[in-house]
Amino acid sequence: MKKHPMLKYLKEEAAAGPRLPLILCPGCGAGQVLNYALRAVDAVIQEDGLRKEDFVFISGVGCSSRLASHYLNFDSAWTLHGRALAVATGALLANPKLKIIVFTGDGDAAAIGGNHLIHTCRRNLDLTILCVNNGLYGMTGGQVAPTTPFGVRTVTTPYGNVEDEFDLCRLAQTAGATYVARWSTAHPHQTIKTIQKGIRKNGTAFIEILSQCPVHLKKTPAEMFRQLKKSTVSLKKAAAGRAGSRIPVGEFCDIDKPDWITRYQNVIDRLQSDERTHE
Amino acid sequence: MNKLHVNAAYCKGCLICVEVCPAAAIRPCPMINSRGYTLPEEDDMSRCTGCRLCETVCPDFAVAIETDEDGGE
Repeated sequence: MKKHPMLKYLKEEAAAGPRLPLILCPGCGAGQVLNYALRAVDAVIQEDGLRKEDFVFISGVGCSSRLASHYLNFDSAWTLHGRALAVATGALLANPKLKIIVFTGDGDAAAIGGNHLIHTCRRNLDLTILCVNNGLYGMTGGQVAPTTPFGVRTVTTPYGNVEDEFDLCRLAQTAGATYVARWSTAHPHQTIKTIQKGIRKNGTAFIEILSQCPVHLKKTPAEMFRQLKKSTVSLKKAAAGRAGSRIPVGEFCDIDKPDWITRYQNVIDRLQSDERTHE
Repeated sequence: MNKLHVNAAYCKGCLICVEVCPAAAIRPCPMINSRGYTLPEEDDMSRCTGCRLCETVCPDFAVAIETDEDGGE
């Protein structure tokens, strides 16, 4: 039987027994994001001549963070809730040559780890942040999250959410990330291209992927897939004022500026050359 | 003709593959399997263009399309 092509990057068997199928619920968008991310990594490995050892996957706690827990055949770290970016910062400073991909959810990045996200973007560390945004706290039972859209019914907002949602892309852009994009799981090819671009980008790449939670929003995965397609609109149309209540998707910014490692290396080089002239 | 392979141990029957297939070449199986999931099955694979969109969107790494170029592996 022919196997799925991305299974070559996953550990199917381990000492304690089989690791797959994924622990996620049927139709969960996090599995799709893993599929897209592995395809992007596959393309980068083949086109740029990188090795599997050059990649590290880091995640915090949450549904989407289970992706880096024990399925990947890459180096990976499963860290504290909201602190994935702090651990990723440490890994990058220890070995700046690594290509670090952070899987994080909306609760992980926007709620408990909000400050880590802001300051990682501000420092412009060379990381690729994949934020799987399903708009609620899935793992704990579907409570309202900072990213839940206005009016959505969750278990803690049975009459509809009264708060506005957090726009993570605008936050990352304002905080200083060099590459910011938003797609949904219903845009497979665009997401794969964007993740490739994010991995190659020298600086913080923040990619928000709108995802579905069919279990807590009580819809079939196919219905949620159709809904995600319908509720999103391209940035061009949104700029022309044709978005309505739909969510704009696309590339929010793509700028070039030196990342933290480059600036720090410049300081080291300058001080070392000063020392030499004094001798 | 292209062939659809479904890994019954990994598939959780979300049927997103059936939803995205632009040629409607696959359909939900009328029988549920031993784990209670409705898996996708081949409908009319002569319509399959080998775009592999079902493979790309599969959240559980369960669906694979075998085309003639694969050499029948």
